[in-house]
Amino acid sequence: MKKEDHKVQKFDTRKENDLFKTLILTSKRYKLWVAFLLLVILIGLFAYYRQLKYGLVVTAMRDYTSWGVYISNFVFFVAISLVGSLFSSILKLNKNEWAKPLTRISEIIAVSAIICAAAIIIVDMGRPDRFFNVIRYMRIQSPIIWDVIIISTYLVVSFLLLYLSVLPDLALCRDRLKDIPKWKKRLYKITAINWSNDPEQVRLLHKITKILSIAVLPVAFAIHTVTSWLFATTWRPGWDSTNLGPYFVSGAFMAGAAIIIIAMYFIRQNLKLKAYIREDHFDKMGKLLVLLSLVYLYFNINEYLGPAFKMVGVEGEHITELFAGKYAPMYWLVQIGGLILPIALLLFKSMRKPLPISIISTLVILGAWFKRFLIVIPSLQHPYLPIQDVPESYRHYVPTWEEWMITLASFAWFLLIITILIKLIPALPVQKHDHVSKSNPILNLIKNES
Amino acid sequence: MKANYNIISSLKLGLAIFFLFFSTAVVLAQDSDAMEDANIVLSFVDDASSHKIIAKATDKNGEPIADLDLYFYVKRTFSNLPFGDVFNTTDEDGTVAVDFPKDLPGDHEGNVTIFVKIKDSDLYNDQTIETVKNWGVPTALDSTTQKRTLWAAGANAPIPLVLIISSLIVSIWFIIFYIVHILVRISKIRSIKT
Repeated sequence: MKKEDHKVQKFDTRKENDLFKTLILTSKRYKLWVAFLLLVILIGLFAYYRQLKYGLVVTAMRDYTSWGVYISNFVFFVAISLVGSLFSSILKLNKNEWAKPLTRISEIIAVSAIICAAAIIIVDMGRPDRFFNVIRYMRIQSPIIWDVIIISTYLVVSFLLLYLSVLPDLALCRDRLKDIPKWKKRLYKITAINWSNDPEQVRLLHKITKILSIAVLPVAFAIHTVTSWLFATTWRPGWDSTNLGPYFVSGAFMAGAAIIIIAMYFIRQNLKLKAYIREDHFDKMGKLLVLLSLVYLYFNINEYLGPAFKMVGVEGEHITELFAGKYAPMYWLVQIGGLILPIALLLFKSMRKPLPISIISTLVILGAWFKRFLIVIPSLQHPYLPIQDVPESYRHYVPTWEEWMITLASFAWFLLIITILIKLIPALPVQKHDHVSKSNPILNLIKNES
Repeated sequence: MKANYNIISSLKLGLAIFFLFFSTAVVLAQDSDAMEDANIVLSFVDDASSHKIIAKATDKNGEPIADLDLYFYVKRTFSNLPFGDVFNTTDEDGTVAVDFPKDLPGDHEGNVTIFVKIKDSDLYNDQTIETVKNWGVPTALDSTTQKRTLWAAGANAPIPLVLIISSLIVSIWFIIFYIVHILVRISKIRSIKT
């Protein structure tokens, strides 16, 4: 199609205009961004090819540190995925109206994060072709099996959460978007499953949305608690704690809120949605982030105070390593830069403006990622039953370039899923189906088509 | 010059072939002559204070073999445990007696498998004689491996755990299937109308 022929379709309302415009127009910047992400993924795929060919020996993981950067990354993505439930369940059920426009973003992030988490587990397996043996010869006593079950369940639940909220908008896309390729039209037609704003449809959708928003809460708590049990049920210093479940869950909500703020900032800037993602959204998210960070700080103090006071044996060695040993710089950067400083800064109203709060949230996210590294790796280097005459390489863990590239590729993959999804579905809800049923019962969309 | 050279090289070749045949013949002769099977008869002495195993070695003519090293082992889970002295050499009657330790665990009936071996002898072929004796301390079967425990095989998972996990899975997947079912109903609403 020639450029001059290309007229941007006009819509009835300003909101539709603003939100649908990004679905029709593809900017050069968008294409460049996708190309960049694909490039990172390709390099990651090459690293993974090397890992498949030569085995896990290309990583720095050895007998002591058998869970490396992959598993810390996995825990990070599981944490991020919890954000879907924060918005679609906790804030929704508490009738926080302001959070409604952000629900879609949170659900998109949840879906892409849980996909990445599931994929990283496969990457961490030395023989991914034997994955189905995990199911075939499963031992229900193993926390790893609990994790496999809960992750696959949460994957489905996250998809459903996103789908239920996006369904009326998919129908709207099907009916309103004219200037789009055929495959997109087909996609909207199939995914909109004959949605026509029929009162009965609206009633049923309301019903299942409510059921799901209640059901997702225990699943979300379970997914991260079970992930924490992978550690809590393994006999290593630093993990031998009853605090681990709530510690992980609270950390997840904090990281989730931070990533939403970053996503809000980029979507607001790039999709020009300043009228919909307003400054007071950032302000409220800032307050929420402070609250969640304070809860996480509380569990952090719980987690470290006891062992640090007693300094018993290997547990003491582990604490020394974190507080004053080789992991001390990372530990204090994470605790101060990623937790205490953000809390202190976000107490000021001027810091809760879009740009400053996005920078602070980036600090929180970086802190959250390295915090998972600190939870997984130093513990593994202090086994309760040391091996005799261990090779020097077992005592240290510095990830290889293959591990870093695969990890970076997982981030690129995460961002790519979000990038593609916000190109396919409106980043904010266009139709408020709660209003439709009252003020405008049937929007006869079939008529509009013909 | 050339003729001389040829003669010398054919002489060398001939010599080499001769040595080859000669040494082969020597080796073959050694094999058939020197190595033979020894005959070992074991007898066991049981009394209150000790268990003793007496081995008597004879050659093919029934003559006792003196100065033959025998090795005594008892079979354990992963390898064989030697018992007796470092060297257990037969006397002029061809016999050697070795004490069997009284405190070795056997199977649940107290049976142990004993091996008597000839190894690396210059005159006799290697051989192993295996016998089962009721000389071990009976060990109780570790019945926990058969029970339903957290550390048992998947098939022996504790029933409460299986019930709790299955009911959790069933309840959440019931909700998921219910939601999918409603979605199917939603999709049919328009088709009924049209």
